[in-house]
Amino acid sequence: MSSEAPVVRAVNLVKIYQTGGLPVPAVRGVDLTVEAGEFVAIMGPSGSGKSTLVHMLGGLDTRTSGEIWLDGRRADTLSESGWAVLRREKIGFVFQFFNLVANMTVADNVELPALLGGVSPRQARERREYLLGELGLADRAGASPAQLSGGEQQRVALARALANQPRLLLADEPTGNLDSRNTRDVLRLLGQVHGQGQTIVLVTHDARVASMADRVVSLLDGQIVDDGAIPKSRRRPLGAAGDVVELRS
Amino acid sequence: MITTRTAELRWIRADLRARRGQAVLTVLAVAGIVTALIIAATLLEDGTNPWRGLFQRSNGAHIWIHSKDVPDVSALRQLKGVTDVAGPYRSAPATLVARGRRVPITLQETPAALPAVARPLLREGRWLDVRTPNGVVVERSFARALGLRPGSPFTVTGLNGATHTLTVAGLAESGDQGFYPEWTPGLAWTLAQTLNVVEPAPGRTETVTGLRLADPAATDLVVQRAVFTMRNQVQRVTTWREVRASMELDNRLLGLLLALFGGAGLVAAALALANAAGGRVLMQLRDIATLKSLGFTRGQVVRMLVIEHGTLGLLGIAAGALVARLITTYAMGESVVVPLSAGPLSAILVGTSLTVLAAVLIPAWRGGRTPPIPAAPAAPPRGHLSRLARVALLVRLPPALVLGARDAFTRRAPAALTLCGVAIPMMMITIGLGCWTTLDDFIRHPESVGQAAALTVRPAELTAEEARQRAMADPDVVAAYPGAELDALVPWQTRTVRTRALGLSSDPYPFPVVEGRMFADRGEAVAGQGLLDLLGVQIGDRVRVTIGGTPLIVRIVGRVVEPEQDGEVLSLGVDSLAAKDAEPPQFYALVLRSGADAAQVRARLQGQGLEVAQAVNPADRLVVIRVIIVALVAVLALIGLASLLTASALGLRDHILDLAVLKAMGLTPRQVMATLVTATGLPAAVGVVLGAAAGASWSRWLIDLEGRGSGVGAGIGRAPTPGMLAAALLIAIGAALLVALIPARRAARAQVPVTAR
Repeated sequence: MSSEAPVVRAVNLVKIYQTGGLPVPAVRGVDLTVEAGEFVAIMGPSGSGKSTLVHMLGGLDTRTSGEIWLDGRRADTLSESGWAVLRREKIGFVFQFFNLVANMTVADNVELPALLGGVSPRQARERREYLLGELGLADRAGASPAQLSGGEQQRVALARALANQPRLLLADEPTGNLDSRNTRDVLRLLGQVHGQGQTIVLVTHDARVASMADRVVSLLDGQIVDDGAIPKSRRRPLGAAGDVVELRS
Repeated sequence: MITTRTAELRWIRADLRARRGQAVLTVLAVAGIVTALIIAATLLEDGTNPWRGLFQRSNGAHIWIHSKDVPDVSALRQLKGVTDVAGPYRSAPATLVARGRRVPITLQETPAALPAVARPLLREGRWLDVRTPNGVVVERSFARALGLRPGSPFTVTGLNGATHTLTVAGLAESGDQGFYPEWTPGLAWTLAQTLNVVEPAPGRTETVTGLRLADPAATDLVVQRAVFTMRNQVQRVTTWREVRASMELDNRLLGLLLALFGGAGLVAAALALANAAGGRVLMQLRDIATLKSLGFTRGQVVRMLVIEHGTLGLLGIAAGALVARLITTYAMGESVVVPLSAGPLSAILVGTSLTVLAAVLIPAWRGGRTPPIPAAPAAPPRGHLSRLARVALLVRLPPALVLGARDAFTRRAPAALTLCGVAIPMMMITIGLGCWTTLDDFIRHPESVGQAAALTVRPAELTAEEARQRAMADPDVVAAYPGAELDALVPWQTRTVRTRALGLSSDPYPFPVVEGRMFADRGEAVAGQGLLDLLGVQIGDRVRVTIGGTPLIVRIVGRVVEPEQDGEVLSLGVDSLAAKDAEPPQFYALVLRSGADAAQVRARLQGQGLEVAQAVNPADRLVVIRVIIVALVAVLALIGLASLLTASALGLRDHILDLAVLKAMGLTPRQVMATLVTATGLPAAVGVVLGAAAGASWSRWLIDLEGRGSGVGAGIGRAPTPGMLAAALLIAIGAALLVALIPARRAARAQVPVTAR
């Protein structure tokens, strides 16, 4: 494990937005290493820069300075197209608002990344059938995203993110828009894929969600204020009534 | 790589399926524009160049050889480049006596069975029949000029002086005989036996033989070979070029007008597509961002959008070309003889294709630039209440209006899009209306295009003075100007230009002088723009021309609007000519009392034994343009409305969150609706006004530019009349508000979700 390069390595990562001529720092000097097979939760209050950090790790947003290494390759110097190709091959994304392509069926949504990755249509279909079957959506393949519930949509989004067996799964508040039952389902699925060795970086401000992870990184005002592994014993059973009251922003 | 394509195609297919109706509308809009353009071009081509259709239908001969004796047909047939031979036919000169006038005419022998080559096209009545040898078939333009109909008596006098009474059996057209009176003498087809009766002496007939060529461009070469083959028998040769020239009308003005409408059509097509594609791309920015987060590159996104929307546009072009072909073949089979020639057709197709791709490229590029963060919210509404808005609220203007107006002007990009999307079609519509007014003006004020005289009389059998007296005796004739039309050789030119002497220097014909002044002395002249351009002279310059061998130096003192001969006409007083050319006058140009019916006066004068020609108003030749104007205005109006619908749908999308806020603030649904209508309607109304203003000020300039280019010269352009303009403005603004109202009404009543989309 230690001989293998880390899946993600960020060195002194900085992101400064220019808003109306004023520099607004969102991420200020983050160092983060995620080893293969790790499940890292990034926590922090609204505006702490956690989404920006994940977007930069996936190349959706450009860094202001610093380095990003993915799978032992430097990625921050890539062009937009270079990032796009890298995402096809190595990164899966899950977003808060599911972001399924509205005019495509569930099946097309899941097959799209596989086709983009260069897999034959037949293989893409087999992979899609397998994934949807695993996620309990086999009978919804022909539906359009608008016909699905929020939980179902997020499960489809998860299937789509996993279609190319990515090295890294980035999840940005995947349960932020779901009720507790669907939250539980989605987290159970994340736990399952993690159990199969999937590396996951998940952004949340929900402590219950974060408690699923091996390790929690806390951000405040764009800087890491805490980074620690969660002992197995402290992990909560999922779906139990929480005694932590959360304020949703 | 191949499966990457599969991914792109799958998305395109899914997107097209999701918006089938819109896609069909786009195809229809482009197809409609292309159809209109092709039909317009076909009609114009057919109207300006009837020779093409006639020649093709009659399978005409390119060369006609007139010889004394019957030539060696097999030798002619074997000439290189000759595919077929018409005739040889005997032909004889004769004189037709009609209504007391004697008109020279050519009788030509034709078989009773229509020949394969140079086949006259029967238009009225019936063809020659051996059982009624007295029947002749008369060339239609000649018959019309003389008022002949099937059944009319046809009295001819042969060269020996014997008179024969024949009957008109039918009227026919042919691509081998030019139109009368440009092409003289007139032609009548008869049976061989009839010809023998009228002209029994073989020595006084000639033989005409037609050669049909494989390549019309080889005409001159084949003429040389034929003349060589036939040694000294050839008397004269006519070719298709001369026939065509006698049929052609104001080609340049019509061509330029077509180019103007073509331009308008192209802009309309571009707008229709840019709007459909642009609106669609803006609506699906989130989806595009998602695609990019999945790993689609910018290039792939641009390619997908270009393929999707470009295919719709090209499909529309193909459909338009097909429909236009079907319409010209079946629905207009009578009026249009042959489909559009390859040149203009390919110009239209290539032009629209390029426009379509250019129009699609911009929204596609915009789509490609979408950042890949799909979760990023749409840019938060910017702007603040301006001082003006605060004042407006203070003086208690309805808050809905103020908020709507503020919306319209703080979101500048969408407002500018709406404005342009409405202003450009409106401008085109106004220019179209300007063309309409110009045509109306031609008809209402023919004197402004040099047609103060509605009729010209030629003395025919009478002396010039008698003709003048008879004409002036008519109560409706106000003035008769003596005139002569001559060909003048101009320096440095191998061809002649028309010289029109009309009126006296002391009493000039009312030429429409638009620059400089009217000629007022001997040796002064006015000219059309075409002549000034041809000679490279300006008003005030002297030119030296040779008329019938006599040199003449005139000073050009003014420029007139000149619709004839592409403006290459020199006009002067009869007294400026040498006496041999001026006396007696060839014709008199008659100015009628205003309100007089030219056709009636013409009929009366014809009854007096005068040869009377009625002036053809340029507007009558341009009637087809009115049809095109109406069609284009309709298409443009639809495009404007479609772009407005897109704009209000987009506005609604941007406003959906504000709506909740507005309602929470206590605005009633009606006020919410008013806010939305103002936000879309205000830029639209501004666009309508700006577009109309630009169109009104440009139409005159543009038409004058066309006029100048065509040789007619600047000075014909008119802006739309105030009434027409006001009506167009009111209708456009009303329609714009109505279109803005529909989605606003629905939105104001809908339950607005407060969460993000």
